[in-house]
Amino acid sequence: MNSLIAVGAGIAVLGALGAGIGIGIATGKAVEAVARQPEADGKIMKNLILGCALAEATAIYGFVIAIMIIMFFR
Amino acid sequence: MEAVAEHIQEELNVQTVFTIPALGGIDVAESVVVTWIIMAVLILLAFFLTRGFRTRNISKRQAAMEVMVTKLLSMTETMVGEEGAAYVPYLTTVLLYIGVANIIGIFGFKSPTKDLNVTLALALMSIILVQAAGIRAKGIKGWLHSFVEPIAIVTPFNILDLVTRPLSLCMRLFGNVLGAFVIMKLIEQVLPVVLPAVFSVYFDLFDGLLQAYVFVFLTSLYIKEAIE
Repeated sequence: MNSLIAVGAGIAVLGALGAGIGIGIATGKAVEAVARQPEADGKIMKNLILGCALAEATAIYGFVIAIMIIMFFR
Repeated sequence: MEAVAEHIQEELNVQTVFTIPALGGIDVAESVVVTWIIMAVLILLAFFLTRGFRTRNISKRQAAMEVMVTKLLSMTETMVGEEGAAYVPYLTTVLLYIGVANIIGIFGFKSPTKDLNVTLALALMSIILVQAAGIRAKGIKGWLHSFVEPIAIVTPFNILDLVTRPLSLCMRLFGNVLGAFVIMKLIEQVLPVVLPAVFSVYFDLFDGLLQAYVFVFLTSLYIKEAIE
């Protein structure tokens, strides 16, 4: 049972994959945008932080669910 | 490894410090006490740093404080926009509180934001403020009408937003602080010297302040959306 819980928690954290890809794409595009228009630096930065925070949420949900699996099923 | 798991588990549990003997006993949790400490520090700082202000011939301390306050206020003001200027003091206060709460772990206290109840309370405060701002700006009728915008078919999703928004605000802050904490504990296990100090700058300081910024940023975004 204990090992199954560990496997379950590990699978829940797989959600981090999506966040990694998402933030990677967002940052890549932001760098492109800054290269094209360096004067819009501040605005791009703000939007990038917002986008990253939203994309990161999926990874955080995965993490929170993993912790909950470990906490409540033991 | 057993010891680490036990230590982390112990840190996750929110202990009751003492019980107020009234109304059948009110439990005062550790996070509440740390919040009181943060409040005391912020209030004392605000009190002593603002003594003896003058309009002419200002001291260095006054100049520094004025720059700091102006910077913080203008930061939240650019987020919420000019129409939401009334909400700037609240947002700045929340920013200061979450910022201090996230990095107070460095000084040996247990971060209040590592307690799900605290982040949930902050998220509920935010969503109530957003709805109140909507009602204040548009009136009850306009606020109710905002649920059927842009078309009637999205009404269920608009209502669902009332639940998912605070939930995601709460979980994001809690998960980030908890995640940073667990990673720091694991790093300490790998190498207890030098290495944790380097990572602590990112996980404790940078991530803590960034999450405070993100929380306030999202709240002000919702307010902006509600009042326009």
